[in-house]
Amino acid sequence: MFEHVLSVIIFLPILAGLLLLVTPASRTIARVTGLVISLATLVVSIDLYASFASTGHLEFVEYFPWIQSLGIAYHLGIDGISLFILMAGSVLLPMVYLVFTTKEKGYYANLLIVQGAMAGAVCAADMVLFYVFWELMLLPVFFMLGLYGGPKRLPATLKITLYTIAGSLLMLAAIVYLGVSYHAQFNEWNFAISKMAQLNLSGRVAAVAFFGFMIAFAIKTPLFPFHTWLPDAYTEAPTATTFVLSAIMAKIGVYGIIRMVVPVFDEQFARFAILLAYSGVIGMMYCGIAAIAQKDFKRMLAFSSASHMGIIALGVFCMNIQALTGSIYQIVAHATSTGVLFLFAGILEDRTETRTIDDLGGIAAKAPVFALFFAIAMLASVGLPGTNGFIGEFMIILGAIKFNTVIGVLAGTSLIIGVCYMLWMFQRVFFEKSSASSETFKDLSLVEGLTFLPVIILIIVMGIYPQPFLSKITPSVALQFSQNVPVVAQTVTTNALLPELTIEQK
Amino acid sequence: MTNDLMLLMPLIIVGAGAILLMLTSAFEKLDNEITAYGSAIIFALAFLVQLSACITGKAIVFSEAFNGILVVSNFSKAAGLIILACGLITALSSQTYFKQNSFCTPEYYSLTVFAASGMLLLTMAQELISVFIALEIMSLAIYILVGYDRKNVISTEAVLKYLMLGAFAGAFFTMGAAFVYGAVGSTKFVKISQFIASHGFSQSPAIIGGSLFILVAFLFKAAAFPFHAWVVDVYDGAAAPITGYMATALKTAIFAVFANFLVIDGSLQAGWIKYLFYISVFTMFVGNLIAIGQQSLKRMLAASGIVHTGYLLIALVAVNSTTFTGSVIAFYLAAYAAGTLGIFAALSYLGGVGEKRQTFEDFKGLAKVRPYSAAAISIFLLSMAGIPPTAGFMGKFYIITSAIDAGQITLAVLGIISSIISMWYYLRLIINMYFYEAQDQFSDTTSSQLAPICTFVLVVCVFAISLYPIII
Repeated sequence: MFEHVLSVIIFLPILAGLLLLVTPASRTIARVTGLVISLATLVVSIDLYASFASTGHLEFVEYFPWIQSLGIAYHLGIDGISLFILMAGSVLLPMVYLVFTTKEKGYYANLLIVQGAMAGAVCAADMVLFYVFWELMLLPVFFMLGLYGGPKRLPATLKITLYTIAGSLLMLAAIVYLGVSYHAQFNEWNFAISKMAQLNLSGRVAAVAFFGFMIAFAIKTPLFPFHTWLPDAYTEAPTATTFVLSAIMAKIGVYGIIRMVVPVFDEQFARFAILLAYSGVIGMMYCGIAAIAQKDFKRMLAFSSASHMGIIALGVFCMNIQALTGSIYQIVAHATSTGVLFLFAGILEDRTETRTIDDLGGIAAKAPVFALFFAIAMLASVGLPGTNGFIGEFMIILGAIKFNTVIGVLAGTSLIIGVCYMLWMFQRVFFEKSSASSETFKDLSLVEGLTFLPVIILIIVMGIYPQPFLSKITPSVALQFSQNVPVVAQTVTTNALLPELTIEQK
Repeated sequence: MTNDLMLLMPLIIVGAGAILLMLTSAFEKLDNEITAYGSAIIFALAFLVQLSACITGKAIVFSEAFNGILVVSNFSKAAGLIILACGLITALSSQTYFKQNSFCTPEYYSLTVFAASGMLLLTMAQELISVFIALEIMSLAIYILVGYDRKNVISTEAVLKYLMLGAFAGAFFTMGAAFVYGAVGSTKFVKISQFIASHGFSQSPAIIGGSLFILVAFLFKAAAFPFHAWVVDVYDGAAAPITGYMATALKTAIFAVFANFLVIDGSLQAGWIKYLFYISVFTMFVGNLIAIGQQSLKRMLAASGIVHTGYLLIALVAVNSTTFTGSVIAFYLAAYAAGTLGIFAALSYLGGVGEKRQTFEDFKGLAKVRPYSAAAISIFLLSMAGIPPTAGFMGKFYIITSAIDAGQITLAVLGIISSIISMWYYLRLIINMYFYEAQDQFSDTTSSQLAPICTFVLVVCVFAISLYPIII
């Protein structure tokens, strides 16, 4: 459509958000602005998606030198890996403005800023630029959580902020280390992500830098054992923030691993892959079991989200095409299903003024449409065949079994835990006897129903006919592996039980 | 000759202006307001001249005119620019500050200009006696400014502490200069460098001892561990604009001369680098420990100033004496100055009569009552904490890059850990301002708009410095 389409997707929401913050706009104006801007972003994104050529390389590249003496540039571009995270943000965020209509100005303004910052982090092709957006997306979350969160919001705010900043500052040191290494090896300053793959990194400092990146992304994802901020933050945050955190921001953590850790630290990654894979599996199981025990449905969804992030991360750690493609597919699937579930949880909380599962019951009889939508999103989340959750999980498990049978089997069995808590929660909230607080529950209004409908349809379409989506992902994933011969070579000797299956180059 | 004069012009303007202000302040007709504007004009004029010199002129060493005791380099120009900008902001925010506080006389503004002339001289000095003279011009003016509120006990305590310890530091410096002179037979940096190059640094006890004493004086003025104990009390006792002035302009001048002295010879720097490493680490962590416990905003900022000294020492450890440009240090100083001065400018008009609002508690709910001021303070705090896209982030980024580039990876990681710790007290103020209901209406703040304007200009600076890092 026009040349700087990525910049528009990034800066249109940020500028609109800042404008709202500095002007004394009323909350209605703020909401309408938010809606218009996010819909405009959606239109631009759909156009971008349509003209995306799936070459596997970065497309829609924008490049302006920023700090020339250090080779830092304003460098944007997307490929099949980042496209879907960008699209998830653009498709999902407009829903918030339609569903939650009575929030304050700052709520909508911060939401716009975080949308732009997340798009920036996904599109950035320069490490320093990535870092700028990566930090920038935390600030709106900090303010939304602290200003509009639940009663115990302050400890939760501090926890998430300090935790993520600690992680990202360590990543900053690692980024600088990469830049300096590049300068030392190629006698030129450069921070472009794609160039870093050429680096030859080994030794103890490289391993430390690897963990600098890994911990930052593990905190954001969150990956066991760095998940402890998650239950508090997800539960205390206002619905839109939880939605943003779980649907998109957590995915940017995984995206960071795919984009920055895997190609650059191939040797270290191969060395520690089995450890990371186990941490993914343990996270899945631990958070799944914790979810069963929750009495608060938002907190339960928080643990469920963490559990699913475990499997998405596992797909990355398995280092083969199937698992990685599955991960990226699952990123979108999880964004749609869990994101929508959190929005439903917000609606449930708004209308019944409780989050306790035991206080609810019999909602299906009062609100059949709501129950139906909820059921579809929930089934997608547990990975029922026919929904998009199935495709992704299937591919990840397939790749995991190829990588390491034990891990594959463990991952497969821990999916059952997901079914347990989800269905049990659904039974208690939507069926059984009607309780006092759900007696007056109103079904989704027409606007709300129409808002959710496209996403629900998307869940089913992506589950039944995944090919058009997969064809956009595969070239980039294949390219990722073709660049990384050492990874595959290392895997054969160290981690895989069936070596001949791990070679995925052809 | 004309070129030399042009390069020296900012110093001449500031020096002559200071004397002029001092003389005119004897006239009763000239009230505080006019002197405030007068000093602001002097600073602005000198700033513009310096800026034009920065843009057009190449670095000329006027060894002819001053026998090599003053050298203008790009680094000293940048440092001078920062100092003059700090002086301008200080003069303007003082004007607002003294709408609510009554201990001002016209001499106050004259003294700020005097201090600036000392600082400017300090950035250019390449000879130990000149450094000492410049140091004392600056320090004497600052001593008086710290204790300007004579009826205030805290202020008096502050000036006594600062004066006593500062006098010790000055004595150490002269002692060091005497030692070095004894060994070299000259006090010029160039000669010292030649001497060390031909004799070796560790061969001469007088050079080792002399440079140790000189470093002690610099470390004292820069508020580095273990000479940091005075900082918190002195910053707390001084008036808010003066605290800001000390924290930024004075630190800039000291680090300029510190860097200039350290890079005179590679082996001098190499000889002290191991100790500077530990001093830097301790400065960061001790500063953090002090800052975490503070209840008063000014004391917290004082302690965070110690931490920032630690970051600057990282840059000093990483400087390369052969290709020294000082750009990393100058950039960090500019970034730090913008953030710190901004907070003190905001405190100048939010502090109330007699600076009654001091603690974190007093600023609770500021965002509800004065949203723009709260947003500005938050931006300054985020800049000091090093969150992008503010200037502080870029400064920190350059420092870490220079440290890792120089092979000081441990130091860089420790610097990062220190800035993680420092997040806590910066966030604490933001949390206090935003996440609580307002208890105070902040309605007694003055009608003078100069300090608020300064604050918002500095907000722009914080972003501009980050987005257009021209100096590097």
